Amino acid sequence: MRRGALIHSLVPLLSSLLAIFGAFLVGGVFLTIMGKDAKAAYMLLATRALGSSFGITETVIKMAPLLLVSAGLLIALRASVWNIGIDGQFLIGAGAVGVVAPRLAGVMPLFPMLIICGLTAFVFGALWGVIPAILRVRYGLNEIITTIMMNFVAIYVTSWLVKGLFRDTSVVAPQMPSIPKDWRLPHIPLTRIHVGVVVGIVIVLFLHFMFRRGTFGFSLNVMGLSRKAAVHAGISVDRLAILALLLSAGMAGLAGANDVLGVKGLFQGEWNPAYGFTGFALVFLARLNGLAIIPFAYFFAFLLFGGEMMARTAGIPVFFVEMLEGLMLVFFAVSVYFERAVLRKVVQE
Amino acid sequence: MQITIAEKPRMETKETKPSPSVLEARGITKRFPGVVANDNISLLIRGGEIHTLLGENGAGKSTLMNVLAGMLQPDEGRILINGAEVSFKSPIEALEQGIGTVYQHFTLVPNLSVVENVVLGTSRGMTLDLKKAEEQLAIMQSHLDMAVSPHEEVGHLSIGWQQRVEILKVLYRGSQIVLLDEPTSVLTPIEVKELFQILIRLKADGVGVVFITHKLDEALDISDRVTVLSRGKRIGEVGSHELARQERESLSRKIVRMMFEECDLTEVHRKSTVDFENQRMCRLNEVSAFDDRGTVAIRNLSFSIRAGEIIGIAGVDGNGQKEMAEVIAGQRRISDGQITIANVDITNKGTAAAAHAGVGYVTDDRLGEAVVPTLTVAENAVLKVFQQTPFSRFAVMNHKAIEAHTRGLIRDFNVKTPGSWTKLGTLSGGNIQKLLLARELALRPKVLVCNKPTHGLDFMTSQFVLQTIRSQADEGMAVLLISSELEVLFELSDRIGVMYRGQLLEIYSRDEVDRETVGRLMLGIKS
Amino acid sequence: MDADRMLVFTSVLLGSGLVASVPLLLAALGETFAERAGLLNLGIEGMMLIGSFVGFLAALNTESIYFGLASGLLIGMLLGFMFGLTTITLHVDQIIVGLGTTVFASGITGFLFRELYGRRFPSLSVSIPKVAVPLLSEIPVIGPAFFKQQVIVYSTWVLVLIMAFVLDHTSFGLRIRAVGESPLAADAAGVNVARVRYCAILIGGGLAGLGGAFLAVGDLSFFVPGMTVGQGFIAIAIAMLGKWRPRRVFVGALLFGILRSVSNGLQILHINIRPELTLMLPYLGIILALVVLAGRTTLPAALGIPYQRGER
Repeated sequence: MRRGALIHSLVPLLSSLLAIFGAFLVGGVFLTIMGKDAKAAYMLLATRALGSSFGITETVIKMAPLLLVSAGLLIALRASVWNIGIDGQFLIGAGAVGVVAPRLAGVMPLFPMLIICGLTAFVFGALWGVIPAILRVRYGLNEIITTIMMNFVAIYVTSWLVKGLFRDTSVVAPQMPSIPKDWRLPHIPLTRIHVGVVVGIVIVLFLHFMFRRGTFGFSLNVMGLSRKAAVHAGISVDRLAILALLLSAGMAGLAGANDVLGVKGLFQGEWNPAYGFTGFALVFLARLNGLAIIPFAYFFAFLLFGGEMMARTAGIPVFFVEMLEGLMLVFFAVSVYFERAVLRKVVQE
Repeated sequence: MQITIAEKPRMETKETKPSPSVLEARGITKRFPGVVANDNISLLIRGGEIHTLLGENGAGKSTLMNVLAGMLQPDEGRILINGAEVSFKSPIEALEQGIGTVYQHFTLVPNLSVVENVVLGTSRGMTLDLKKAEEQLAIMQSHLDMAVSPHEEVGHLSIGWQQRVEILKVLYRGSQIVLLDEPTSVLTPIEVKELFQILIRLKADGVGVVFITHKLDEALDISDRVTVLSRGKRIGEVGSHELARQERESLSRKIVRMMFEECDLTEVHRKSTVDFENQRMCRLNEVSAFDDRGTVAIRNLSFSIRAGEIIGIAGVDGNGQKEMAEVIAGQRRISDGQITIANVDITNKGTAAAAHAGVGYVTDDRLGEAVVPTLTVAENAVLKVFQQTPFSRFAVMNHKAIEAHTRGLIRDFNVKTPGSWTKLGTLSGGNIQKLLLARELALRPKVLVCNKPTHGLDFMTSQFVLQTIRSQADEGMAVLLISSELEVLFELSDRIGVMYRGQLLEIYSRDEVDRETVGRLMLGIKS
Repeated sequence: MDADRMLVFTSVLLGSGLVASVPLLLAALGETFAERAGLLNLGIEGMMLIGSFVGFLAALNTESIYFGLASGLLIGMLLGFMFGLTTITLHVDQIIVGLGTTVFASGITGFLFRELYGRRFPSLSVSIPKVAVPLLSEIPVIGPAFFKQQVIVYSTWVLVLIMAFVLDHTSFGLRIRAVGESPLAADAAGVNVARVRYCAILIGGGLAGLGGAFLAVGDLSFFVPGMTVGQGFIAIAIAMLGKWRPRRVFVGALLFGILRSVSNGLQILHINIRPELTLMLPYLGIILALVVLAGRTTLPAALGIPYQRGER
């Protein structure tokens, strides 16, 4: 690679890493002010989450929904469609599977059952994106607000369903009937990791290839970079915007299926893992690049798992991870500023 | 840029009052990466005088103006007002020192009223006294013989009127020197005359008017003094005595020689001898369409373009020309009527169908619409065709084929670029335009629609573009050429039409019409 | 259902709706100014939440409601300033910084609250007394709902009128409108675009913080992590639906405040609907309103786009 091209790929990576480092730094200072042992906490994070096989396993398991959510965000954001409704679409997809899976278990072989559940989750997730999509295309309404509103509606709708119509009355806690162990996502042989991760990685890799070489990916890129040019080039931007939003929403729903079928085995009330904002930070730091998403997904999964662990053992409330994510988003945005300045200097030489 | 020499009487000028305002530039040098835009330029601008900065696109006059206006800081050189050295760090400082600028792209806020725009930025605190401003505006307007309601929303005014508001803005702030950047490029011939009247009145008040243009005619019409710029250098000056005494013809030749010493002035030849049997390539029948805001943009357009023919469309910006182009290219829906290309109906079938039927479209908005600046040259080259073989198969793009195609375009049209995979945004405007032309022509269209194809280009590239269009027409292509520069239209077209308020008023054969008639039609004045 | 019950229901609905609308109104008014100047502040939700937390904490510890409200205002302004620092001076993407601010706010308020109180949920013992407006509070149904309220509520009405006046009839308002429509033109005319935008975001952030503080201190008297439940975003929608005009924003905020307090009213009528259904109403309402009133909203042209001189 020529020097220019090398710099062009290294600088973004560097600034993403700096953003992460900055967030951890500020977080560490905050912990210290609060009287917590920041160094111990971070060490715990490193050793337990990265150094133990339990930690690594749990992290990889947590990668699955993040990969799927990121895949969805990748499609949307590349086309400049701001799908902030990931959380709602996730819940609706999860809820749909929570209803359907217990009924299908035992009635048909595992493989077709999983396929049907996956499709159900995808379709229902996508359905949750229909209204924002139509509002954007027909009325030019920015999808940021509409998708956020749909999030809250989804929370209440699924809460209503799990506490009412589809409740498993044999248990005290509000939840839908649980799916028998044999009818959940199978594990990768010799591990406790379910195949959701594999599905996620495959989808992300496929998307990466599609954006580099595919015509559909190229159309989305053009649309995201310059709507006017896309129209001029004959690309039907309205159709693509709807497609991008629906596919993105479907992916979020699929992520929901992953968690219900793979991790929890049921749809639980009062449950909202809120992978959406984590996904946002993830995808931006990875610069909307499919290949980079995979290692970043590992990192964020590690962060989520580590956060739970720090809460249990180091007495650091789980909210800390949210703080880090927020800081990472802001620092990422700021790092783009410095990046532009550096690249401009390089070009002048 | 066309240098045409027409016989026209000079504007009548009034007696000028002596004025103390003097703006002097000494040794102004300004460099940008790869080019010296201004090279040691010195000149003197006196109040009570209309001083023209004349030069082609790329000569450095815009840069010089930006330096004088405070937009840019010179690398070397000094600016003096009435003998005292000044330096501006921003346009506002220049304005406060008495130098007001009317830019080519207006700096007005569209949804505010005239008086609000004039008053914007003048008061620091909270209070807003529109009444007083209105009174002052009324006085200024009557003095300059203008009349526009102060409460009118600026966005609703015509371009000519917006320009006048810009002038009022600058005078309201007490400017003694007024710089105007290519003010006539957006005006009809009659509006140009009206502008000149205003400038003469300003001159009579002792204001120093700096008129920046590439049009030799206008420079000779209005100036008291002409400074000629070329390639960043000040070539020379033609003073008031010469302008008053010498014959127009010889003046023009002298100035042209000053500007183009090394250039090869080739005339674009019109009319080929091949007859294409009057084959109608593009036909519009009672076509109407709306613009983006929902108002009627074009109504009942009916005309056809024959093979080998160039139809020039004149008109003030915003009278439906852009929408006409978009409609033929399939980019805009038609509400009424039909469009056929070589007898194939493409009405409301979209851009792909139009392209397939043989329409090529070179839009006027180069960077915003025609290309994606952050994508590579190659990606932009196939922007309209990437979904077709050989550029992609089974939804996967074939980079080898794309690269080969792009290299061909770069070679044939002499596009200066480090390679096919450099970011398009790094190319100069002229090279981007060449690539665009190459891109459209590569599809071998039957009909080519060009909207302002030479806008902002330097002379050589301009000539290249026009020559290319002419030779394509000579080989049978039908061309619709939209331009606001009458010289270009008269040079190249076989027939000339005028758009006004969305209607095609008349189409004349080139030989049977003159610029005055066209100019009047552009304003809707039917003869 | 007797007529009396209905009247009481209406009165309660309107009254608690008005109180519920105050945080929305304040945030929406702030956002109106910010967006008119061209800034899309998605951090508004976070600023409200932090305002709630800080206001609650301050009021709890000082036993003074007004101190709590003032703290919320100040912290909101601080956050607004930091938002401005990144988006105005560094020209960074407003959407990402806004979302980041909201996520961060959610995290830090949850963290601090958990640290300070564990699983307990303390509540405020002080509250602002209600003041009855003579004569007007006697009007049946509307009287007790609108005119027997805390002084803060009345002040928001005054605030609406002040802001409307400032926008349309002062040169400060003129500068804001110019900057949001065409920062290039404003800059050329000598307006300090950055300074105007900073003022606008300080107002936006401050009012968001104040609104959040009122929510915790004046309305509910307690704090729960995440208690703003999207009201900041609803405020953005209300600003848009109200076409960024303070008086219309007031009407919008009132309508959504009423939707938010429907569950209160239903209790009066002894109607038993699942709480989730009534809680959904404001969000569905926004979507419905957007559909109905859509197509007629024209955003300030420069909204969301950072301004850099020389980028013509």
